[in-house]
Amino acid sequence: MFVIECPWCGPRDQSEFSCGGEAHISRPAERSDMSDEEWAEFVFMRTNAKGLFAERWNHAAGCRRWFNVLRNTSTDEILAVYRMGETPPDVSTGLPATPCGEAEIGSGNDAAKVMVEAADGTTNTRDTV
Amino acid sequence: MPDRRISALAHRTPLQAGDGALSLAERPQVAMRGLRVDAKAANRALKKTKGLALPETPNTSRHTEGVHILWLGPDEWLFLGEVDAVHALRDRLGDGLAQIHHQLLDVRDQNAVIALSGKRAREALMKLTTLDLHPGVFRPGDVAGSLFGRATATLHLLETYDPERDPEFLLIVRRSYADYLWCVLARAGREFGLPDQTPKAGEIMRP
Repeated sequence: MFVIECPWCGPRDQSEFSCGGEAHISRPAERSDMSDEEWAEFVFMRTNAKGLFAERWNHAAGCRRWFNVLRNTSTDEILAVYRMGETPPDVSTGLPATPCGEAEIGSGNDAAKVMVEAADGTTNTRDTV
Repeated sequence: MPDRRISALAHRTPLQAGDGALSLAERPQVAMRGLRVDAKAANRALKKTKGLALPETPNTSRHTEGVHILWLGPDEWLFLGEVDAVHALRDRLGDGLAQIHHQLLDVRDQNAVIALSGKRAREALMKLTTLDLHPGVFRPGDVAGSLFGRATATLHLLETYDPERDPEFLLIVRRSYADYLWCVLARAGREFGLPDQTPKAGEIMRP
């Protein structure tokens, strides 16, 4: 659980909000020749960022307004909150040190984990060392 | 014609703690109007209408001519009060806003109003919500939408409340949530002396 600062109501508990997914996805200009792939890209495909991520939130139990949040998805730190139609503020954030060597994109992706050789000669993924 | 409407909580009887520290009751007679309008345009148009400014500060309210004007959102307000007072204000408001795009609706049947009062009312509400209800933070006239138990409701501490006396909180809740909210409030109030509810026919109250 974390506290989200609603641009109108101020800091409130996360349970009052609902997340609306990735922000700043604009509907493509109406074209008759749009392919299914292009529509699928707009309708379904979303980035799954680890680190800085812009998402929409709705203060569902309070003022019922939508707004944007810049959140670090790996630490849940909320870096900025801004209203609909506003430009995202320029913020930067880091990723936490991951001693188990997680991949930079996503988490739990075993295929991308760094392979290390243990002292006894057996090969292991780093997170089990 | 007599008013045949049945309030959302007509089947519940008001509860009061023996020492008067807490009481729970429905306010079925409260009239409500919801207003959606652009705040800046509305307040410009209402300048000529004396005493009818809409509160623009989030989570506050204004009390004018017996009606409480509650801020619900940056373009949304709720008018709450006695039927005659709300009707009188509605007519003046309609005249004032005639030239701008707005929506003014009777939301009385959509909502139920539950009053929780007494010196332990804050403590009973604190058991159900994550809102900061400290007397220095949630003050008379304040409004806040939040979750109470699992129900979405708007909490209002009457501006007319005298700090020397015990606070009276109003909870404005969707009609279909009213019975659930009533039951969680009754349950939360038991440790402050609220008596057990009389179950409806066929209803099993958890101990």
